[in-house]
Amino acid sequence: MALSTEDVAGIADYARIALDAQELEEMTAYLNDAVRLLEPIRAYGLKGVDPTYHPIGDLSNVMGRDVVDASERALPLDDALRNAGSVEGRYFRVPSILGDGEGDR
Amino acid sequence: MASLDELSCAQIARGVAAGDFSAVEVAQASLSAIEAREPAVRALLQVTAELALAAAGATDERRARGEALGPLAGVPTAFKDNMHLVGTRTTCASRMLEGYESVFTASCVQRMIDAGATPMAKANMDEFAFGSSTETSAFHPTANPWDLERVPGGSSGGSAAAVAAGEVTLSLGSDTGGSIRQPASLCGVVGLKPSYGLVSRYGVVAFGSSLDQVGPFGRRVEDVALAMDALVGPGRDPFDSTSQDCRADFLESLEDSIEGMTVGVVPELLEVKGLTDEVRQAVGRARSALEGQGANVVEVSLPNIASSIAAYYVIAPCEAFSNLARFDGVRYGYQEPGCATLAEQSSLSRAHGFGEEAKRRQMLGAYLLSSGVYDQYYYPAQQVRTLITQDYARAFARCDVILMPASPRTAFRFGEISDPLQMYASDMFTISSNIAGNGAVSVPLGLGRDTGLPVSAQLQGPAFEDRRLLTFARALERAVDAGGGLGKGAPVAPGCAGRGGEL
Repeated sequence: MALSTEDVAGIADYARIALDAQELEEMTAYLNDAVRLLEPIRAYGLKGVDPTYHPIGDLSNVMGRDVVDASERALPLDDALRNAGSVEGRYFRVPSILGDGEGDR
Repeated sequence: MASLDELSCAQIARGVAAGDFSAVEVAQASLSAIEAREPAVRALLQVTAELALAAAGATDERRARGEALGPLAGVPTAFKDNMHLVGTRTTCASRMLEGYESVFTASCVQRMIDAGATPMAKANMDEFAFGSSTETSAFHPTANPWDLERVPGGSSGGSAAAVAAGEVTLSLGSDTGGSIRQPASLCGVVGLKPSYGLVSRYGVVAFGSSLDQVGPFGRRVEDVALAMDALVGPGRDPFDSTSQDCRADFLESLEDSIEGMTVGVVPELLEVKGLTDEVRQAVGRARSALEGQGANVVEVSLPNIASSIAAYYVIAPCEAFSNLARFDGVRYGYQEPGCATLAEQSSLSRAHGFGEEAKRRQMLGAYLLSSGVYDQYYYPAQQVRTLITQDYARAFARCDVILMPASPRTAFRFGEISDPLQMYASDMFTISSNIAGNGAVSVPLGLGRDTGLPVSAQLQGPAFEDRRLLTFARALERAVDAGGGLGKGAPVAPGCAGRGGEL
């Protein structure tokens, strides 16, 4: 079933990408075309086929030692804050997380 | 007087070590080539002259102190702009990261510099690597050095064009679905996508985490082999959990004979719609060239490769959506001013920071990962991935490498492919080796009979047999050289050659 602009507005909200009315129309057309491109995936009989999530099958998590790493990988505070749009003291500054009584969308 | 256009990496490194010229002089020659050629080609987003001269100066000082120099001593090198290098911006060719200053250096970049390479520039790309033409760069398009009216391919189009134009001798790109091999093909240079896990991705901005791999571009197979030795030589990178320990023996096996080895060909792939006659013929000549050097040819089958594009456009957008969620306008990246809530700030920062294709891919990923849809597409795509991987395993039981096209056609004009889905189809020959994780290389075969533009062949090998891939690539290069080529790998594009670059 084709996606409607309302469906796509919901996805945009979830993806945190604000789209205006014209962008919503274009994105709806794109997504419907793109999903058709994916149809070969649904045409397979895949019962009993294991998924491959990753090309290196036996990969396991690499665990670091639980100690403070003050070496090259520890990002100094000034570096960590250097590219932020708004900072205050040692912190990233953000607008209200809950909004002005309207709740987080 | 020498020209940078004529020198291989090994010749540059030997010349610097012998004192025939200094690393600073080589860097200046590269800067003069960039100055003369870049206004037409526009392969670069940032020329790092100060960094380059400082690095080259340090190389010359090491020589003056009598220290041994690295195998890439003085080699002018460009890095795709999704690779962090302290002292440069890392923008991914996106407004989202315009002005972002690198706060650390990617392992792949550091290893090239440690081997002596001189960092000349950051190269243009499709925004966040979403594209096959470098037209989605937020800053400017890049022209194909062989025909300025045409695209260089993508997403690593700047890295390929900078080498084809002779602005630099080596470059690094990244390949998620063909982003090294397709631009290498369109620009007439060698481009290797190593096996997944061979090269560290630490410090490279992520696109598709189960697909991304970093690799080199050069005008000669030997240059690419030297770069690979530099990238894998120091061993696995503890900063990247996908990084594997591999032998740095690319150069030493380069001239091995291919006599008695077996090349697989896939007949159904040569009948694919959209494959042009001149590319089909070029791949046929490549087959004859390998047979002429004693290789056997067998037909193999990759029945599920036809579904690679569908599987890829499920897996890659999902991984991209997940990876690009970090761009929320808080810690880095474009931040929309004057927003009352964090949600509004995130949504508007992402809406105004990302370009159209970056938004499309993330929206597709968000949809495919949503409840109910995941089971219809994402999970089956990963099962199809298993089938594609099994196809390769069966094929490589019967052959050492598979020969096929890299790109279905030569370079296209700006704006010629405007439908995103048609653009996706241009990766039809490259995507499957990202899905399976095996290595693949695009090797230039001279100019196509019909368009007069660079054509190439692609060689794909089993995972972690990349060394053998380069042995076969070198065999093809030998044949091209013997058949009227310059005898020293792919040339600098004629419109660029000889303009600046004197040493």
